[in-house]
Amino acid sequence: MPFFDVIKWIVWKDILSEIRSRESISSLFFFALNVILIFSFSFSVDRDVTLALMPGLIWVAFGFTSILGLGKSFLSETHNDCIGYLQMAPVPKGAIYLGKLAGNLLLMLFVEMILYPLFMIFFNLDILVKLPTLLIISLLATIGLSALGTLFSALTVQTRAREVMFPLLLLPLSVPVFIGAVESTQGALSGDPYSFYGHWIALLFVFDMILTIASFWMFEFILDY
Amino acid sequence: MVSQRLIGTLRKWEGGVGILAGLFIFTGLYLGLVVSPPDYYQGEVVRIIYVHVPFAKVSLLSYTTLFLGSCAYLWKKDPIVDNLCHAAAGIGVFFTSGALITGSIWAKPTWNTWWTWDPRLVSFAILLLILIGYLMLRTFVDDKRKEAAYAAVLAIIGFVDLPIVYFSVEWWRTLHQPMSISTRGISIAPGMLTPLAFMAIGISLLFFYMLMVRTQMLYLQHLLEAKRGGLLSEEEG
Amino acid sequence: MVSLCGIKISHTYRFFKALKEVSLELQKGECYALFGPNGAGKTTLMKIFATLLQPTSGTVTIMGRDGVQDREEARRFLFFIGHGSFLYDDLTAIENIEFAIGLRGWLPTLGEIKMALDRVGIGPYASQKSRTLSTGMQKRLALAKAILAEPNLLLLDEPYASLDEKGIAIMNELICDFLKKGASVLLSSHDRAKTAEVATHAGILHNKGLREIPVTELAHALF
Repeated sequence: MPFFDVIKWIVWKDILSEIRSRESISSLFFFALNVILIFSFSFSVDRDVTLALMPGLIWVAFGFTSILGLGKSFLSETHNDCIGYLQMAPVPKGAIYLGKLAGNLLLMLFVEMILYPLFMIFFNLDILVKLPTLLIISLLATIGLSALGTLFSALTVQTRAREVMFPLLLLPLSVPVFIGAVESTQGALSGDPYSFYGHWIALLFVFDMILTIASFWMFEFILDY
Repeated sequence: MVSQRLIGTLRKWEGGVGILAGLFIFTGLYLGLVVSPPDYYQGEVVRIIYVHVPFAKVSLLSYTTLFLGSCAYLWKKDPIVDNLCHAAAGIGVFFTSGALITGSIWAKPTWNTWWTWDPRLVSFAILLLILIGYLMLRTFVDDKRKEAAYAAVLAIIGFVDLPIVYFSVEWWRTLHQPMSISTRGISIAPGMLTPLAFMAIGISLLFFYMLMVRTQMLYLQHLLEAKRGGLLSEEEG
Repeated sequence: MVSLCGIKISHTYRFFKALKEVSLELQKGECYALFGPNGAGKTTLMKIFATLLQPTSGTVTIMGRDGVQDREEARRFLFFIGHGSFLYDDLTAIENIEFAIGLRGWLPTLGEIKMALDRVGIGPYASQKSRTLSTGMQKRLALAKAILAEPNLLLLDEPYASLDEKGIAIMNELICDFLKKGASVLLSSHDRAKTAEVATHAGILHNKGLREIPVTELAHALF
């Protein structure tokens, strides 16, 4: 069974389920909307202050949303013991991991793409010209979060107290993602030249590579051991 | 059975290691607290390094043990190795929190702050969080076999992640807090080196002693659970 | 031709011994029925043959492939129907089949899927979300998957549970079909009378070990 077909099947299944139920998309979207509302009430409306806090706000909102979204990623697999079928399927287990990762990534990116315009509207930001850089940063940071999140979702989904364990494991390990994302977003928003914040993007990239590869290897021990 | 032999070995050596650890620690403490002179700049406060530095080193030792043990477990699937990892994680929490607390106590008089966002401090805090997460995860998995595998995976991922945490915090700090107080470059006088060496060896031996005792405890705990549940098989009674 | 061969399979975790040196051999076209009281280790043994669990000692060989070292390969030949339905709630019956068979490396046409669904009697429900199907229908859906998967070794853990009279008849018919096509079937059950219709061999798991019993005694023997 070719490696990429497995990825394709898993993504197809996850996306189709999501389109049918719209369970994650709608809950994630409204959750994030609430986070943004709380932010705008919690901080002063002074534009300079808001601008200074913006990168942090964006990534706290995205981070909370990821915790909610990624944590549920393997829930559908446990309902009818589907995880057992995946284990018995004659396919490399790493491909299943990459499939789940790709599905999660698409979902999270989709939600983030809806949230950026909302940030623009609610906080009166002018980021249209900076959007390409912001999208690259979002992509890299979301890959990192999803790589860890997908693995930890598989790790915690069959445990008791799943909702508590997932963020407890994910957050400390994703510190570099948050630092890198906030710093590079800061750089991009304030219009600094790329050389000022390029190393943060490099950091995100390195994190993505290392953690995706490590999780790819480790997934087999979670699913088929 | 491998487990039986290993448990036998542990039982045989634990006393010796424990006594040796005690000797080294007491000598180290005597040299450090009584014999060695106070520091020129820091005065008597400096003596906390005889506890702090060995604790910090041994936290790393315990996590390295946990990492190597986890790899070995995933490879060989020997439950006793899993007990060893479990033990190393618990002891790691003790030494890591010890290092953080003594570090804070030392930082207050020297840098006039309990906490600073130094990469080493942050990495140790993250290390502590990972270890606590590891122990919590273990209590939440019902299936013993899965518990061991999941825990091992978490330990390995955490070990891979920690250096990245360290570097990201270092970059972040150089950007936001230009080194007004230097947290490094404390040179050590020769008179301080001997007690420090004694303490480092002593605390490392203490770690191994604790590891040996705790591994046996966890092994016996499994045995007891099996006996209570009437699940004992004849070979390993 | 041996489809399934288990030699001296033991399963222990730590101090808990679930199976003790169980050996079992299944030739092409044979149907082995596994009996035993609750907790005798039937499900554990089934899971080991399904490569869901690895034995602590002993070897499992499926169509000549090692069930532990070579399990990726061995899995191509087996199909397992257990207590979980392996269905995704938001996909329709057809989509569930496409996914399950797709993961095995080929895509059946819509016609083939419909035919298989008709064969197990749930043709009219083909486009319904699987969440709306009853347990019995879900089991039939699993059977439809098995038809399309064309395994050499079919493992059925309590196949008659939650099936109605008609469903049981279909199940036995299909088992016979599989046997005729040269596949082997291993099933675990509590229902001796229904099993007797298809089984060619039988064994009972007792005290963690396996004891063979003659099939002719299945209908009336008490054990």
